Order: sequence, then C-alpha cells, then structure tokens
Amino acid sequence: MAEENVILKAEKGPNKRNIGRKKKKPETRAREYNSDKEEDESGPENGTEQDKEELRGGYSSEEAERNQKGQDDENFDDGFSGDEDEGDSEIQPGITKFTEGCRAFRMAFKSIIKKSVQDDGLGPVLSAHKKLVAKKLAEEEGERKIKGEAKKEKHLVGEKGHVKPVTYLDIHEKFLIDVASKGVVKLFNAVNKAQGAQKGLDPSRSKDAKVLRKRQKEALFSELGKTPASTVNTPAMVRASNGQVDVEAPAWAPLRDNYMLKNSKLKDWDKMPDTGVTDDVRRISEDSSSDDDD
Amino acid sequence: MARFRNKKRKAFVKPVVKKQHQASVDHITGDKIPKSFVFARGKLPGPLRQLQMDLRKLMLPHTALKLREKKRNNLKDFLNVAGPMGVTHFLILSKTPTAPYLRVARTPQGPTLAFKIQEYSLAVDVAKSQLRPRCPQDLFKNPPLIVLSGFGTGDQHLKLTTIMFQNIFPAIDINTVKLASCQRIVLLNYNKDTKLIDFRHYSIRLQPVGVSRRIRKFVQNHQVPDLRNLQDVSDFITKAGYGSESEADDEAATVTLATDLSRVNRASSKSAVKLQEIGPRMTLQLMKVEEGLCSGGVIFSEYGTLSRIC
Repeated sequence: MAEENVILKAEKGPNKRNIGRKKKKPETRAREYNSDKEEDESGPENGTEQDKEELRGGYSSEEAERNQKGQDDENFDDGFSGDEDEGDSEIQPGITKFTEGCRAFRMAFKSIIKKSVQDDGLGPVLSAHKKLVAKKLAEEEGERKIKGEAKKEKHLVGEKGHVKPVTYLDIHEKFLIDVASKGVVKLFNAVNKAQGAQKGLDPSRSKDAKVLRKRQKEALFSELGKTPASTVNTPAMVRASNGQVDVEAPAWAPLRDNYMLKNSKLKDWDKMPDTGVTDDVRRISEDSSSDDDD
Repeated sequence: MARFRNKKRKAFVKPVVKKQHQASVDHITGDKIPKSFVFARGKLPGPLRQLQMDLRKLMLPHTALKLREKKRNNLKDFLNVAGPMGVTHFLILSKTPTAPYLRVARTPQGPTLAFKIQEYSLAVDVAKSQLRPRCPQDLFKNPPLIVLSGFGTGDQHLKLTTIMFQNIFPAIDINTVKLASCQRIVLLNYNKDTKLIDFRHYSIRLQPVGVSRRIRKFVQNHQVPDLRNLQDVSDFITKAGYGSESEADDEAATVTLATDLSRVNRASSKSAVKLQEIGPRMTLQLMKVEEGLCSGGVIFSEYGTLSRIC
C-alpha cells in the first residue's frame, strides 16, 4: 500500500519527497534532527533503502554516509548504539531513559536547592544582571529622590506665608476681636439712636417727615459731637454715616474740606443740591394725590 | 426625496438667562454701590487659589463669585468688562518667589495699593481651628461692615488706605440700615510699630444678656431639655449652668436694640455682641502705592525711594 502511494504521488513531483519522509521511522527522524546535513543529499529512494538496512542493524553499509555526517551525529550514534542493536525495543533512541533522566533531574534540582542565595533585595533570578539592575535601581531611586525634593520645594514655595491658626485665642487675636466688637457696638448704638428717633412717626406724612428730618439731624449732630473724644481714646473708626471717614467732619457734604475732591462728581455739581428739593416736591405731590384718593 | 431627519435633533433654543439686575445704585440712599473683581495675575499655587476664593466670598454680594480667568487674559480685558458691569475695585492676587502679593486697585484710573502678604490663613484653616465653626445661611447675603483701626497717624498713604478700604464696601446709612443685615465685619488694624496691617473677617452674633445659658439654649434650639436629674422644674431655671458666664457679661460689648432683631434679640433688651472669626486672615504690609491702575507714578514706596513722575 505504501509503495503504491509513493508511485501515485511520484507523478506530482514536489510532494513526493514529503511522502518519503513520512515513511521514515522515528530513529531516522531523530538522527536527521540532530544532524547538520541537508535533507536534499539523501534522496527519497535512498532513504528508504537505508531505513531498511538500519532496521536490520547493518551499520557497515552506512559507513560512507557516516563520514559525511558531523561529529555530533557520531557521538549520538555511539551513545545509543546498544539500544539500536536490540532492534525495535521499547525505548527509542533520541529519548533518554526515564530512570536516568529522573536521576539527572534530581541531581540538578538538588544542586539548585543546595545553593544558598544571598539575602538580596534583587533576588536570585536576575543574578546574571545583578550589577546592571542594581545600578538601574539606584539610579531610579536617585531620580525619585531628586523629583521628590523638587516637588517638596515647589510645595514649600507655594505654601509660603500660609499659616495654620492656633486653636486657642491668643492675646493678639483677642485684642483684635475687642477692637472689632467695639466698632460694632458703636455702630449699633448709633443706629439705635438714629432709628429710635424716628419711632412712632410716619415718614409718608409731610408733617412727620419734617419732624423726622429735624430729629435725625439733631441725633446725628449730637452723636458726632460726642464721638471725637471717644475716637481719641479708641482706635476704632467706624463709618458712622454715609461713608464718612472723619467723624469730626460736618454731616453735610459741602461743608467738608474734601468736598468734591474725594469723589470727582464735578460734572453734575448743579444737580446735587436739587435732589433734596425734588424729593420734597415728589413727596408732597404723592401726599396730595393720596389725599385726593381719599 | 427628503432624508429622514434625526428625531433627536431639536431646534436650538437660546437658554433664557434671567437677568439678575443688580442695582448699581442703592435704592434708599442713592449712593453708588461699589463692586469688585477678585482675580489673579500669573499662576497661583493651591492655597493661594483658595485664598482668592475666600476673598471673593468675603467681598460678596457685590462681586463676581465665579469669575473665570484665562491665562491669556490681561488687565485690559478685566478693565473692559469692568466698565459696563460697574465694577469699581480690583483685588489682584499674585505670587513672587519671596511672597504672595495683594494689589487693591480702584478702576479705571487707580490708585493701586500693593500689599505684601506676610502671613495668611484660609477660611478652612480658621474653621478647623475652631470647635464650633459658625456659618449661617444668609451670612454672605449682605455686605460686611468695615472697621479700620490705628490708621490715624496722619500719614498720607495710610489715609489713602482707609479711603480705599472704606469705599470698597457699600456705605451704611444709619437712618435706614437694618441691623439684622449686619452679619459680618472686616477689621483692618494697623500696627504702628511693625507697620503691618492685620486683616480679619468676623461674623457678628447677638446674644441676649442676663439670661442663663440653659434658658438661652432652650429658647434657641427648640429642643426638649433633659430634666431627668432634676427634682423640680424650677431647678432647671435656678440651677447655675457651667461655662463662662462671667465672660459674656462684658459691659463694653453690649448693645440695647431699638427694634426687634430676631426672635431671641428683642427690642429694648440688652444683647451682647459676639464675634467669631470666619476667615480668611491676612497680615499685610503696604509696599507701594501707584497713581494709575497697576501703573503710573509711585506715590509711596516702602523702601523710601520716592520717584514722583509728573
């Protein structure tokens, strides 16, 4: 059957050799694998003949070929010639005996186990590159250190002037709170005085409005008259009314020294005094209208 | 044939932006309300960015809380926006290798005061240092009061500083102001010896005086008190509570109210003024005063090199 196959396939040409190889016994395959020789040298027909001879155990006819083969092949043959002589024994050439391999493996494993490994951070695996790896790691470490320092420095620069306040109230803070609360008290008192004056009066009525304005003025003047002495004592300067800075300055804007100098509203200087009058007019007209409605 | 339209596609509807018309003029007194921008020049590190946010909160409500600046924005851009928006003051934070700086400028003409921030603490730090940080809901709804102390030494640059800081917040008309709206106070205290300005921000709280702590808490909290250990209900009132009651009765810090301020603080009852810091906290040093907006002749310099350009 096999030979028929060969003949049939021989017509196809290129596949022929493959078929021939297929027929090869494992021994030859192993040998060919180990040999450096190109397969082309041994033709398919030749190969089959050789195989048959090999099976019979005839080495004499192979001698010529053996000379062509490399040194490795010779060694291989020498090592396993005994096995091959027995013909189709259960152990095939090219594969080490199981017991032998086991022993070798055991020896090798034992030798590995016996090795005492240095207690290094690098470990035994990369021992070949130990120096290189160590160098690399050290370099990395150094780089990281530099980077960390740079980051820290940057952070420090960013945090410059940033202070976490203490949890207790120290003297300075207490003093500041005192100053601030004095200011608040002053303002609140001033507001109370001013707004207390207008209590019980209806600002929409013109008669009351007049009284109200008078009282307010009085209250303000009395407040202002009192404050200069207190400002000397206390450092706090509360903005008492209308954003006035100096408490000593008169309430009416034009009387102040810095009138029209502080806020340059020079362009509508003529409108300023009119507002009060127009306000009155409007208020009166509103009153009259409400009267009409009644 | 017409192509099938994507069903998801909708006509673009311009989102209706409710125009929050903030009056540029106080409706009662007719004074112009100062407004401010707080922004940074250059890149700020984290804590300083936080300080910028804190300053914005401090300047509320007449400031742009969510002002977004870009790297390429220059001062002119801000100035161009400031005009139509009625912004009168700029607070500019910047950072140098030596220290952070705060420039307070009046727009559009100046002057500009440059302060070196010697030390600062954020509002977060201040809150962390306190046992019970206080932040009522409507704390930032009204502008703060400002108290300037120790500036009356007669120096021109100090006078300018007082004017600048007084005009940065809306003026208070004592005849019309509601005391309930006075919730915060900004304090600037000038130290003559060190030439440093302490910048503090406190919340104002009024407490009725002459009432024991227990009763006050009972009225404020609406909680059923624990009476387990008491023999009689009267014990609850008569028994002296612990705590620093003596401290509360500081005569200097009490006010008599003309009108009802809250449920607890009634008219014609005495109330103690309690201040609690809300931060940020800064220690400033006036370094330079410039005539223009971050430009122009130097009116004052800390280093004494007065170079007046006329």
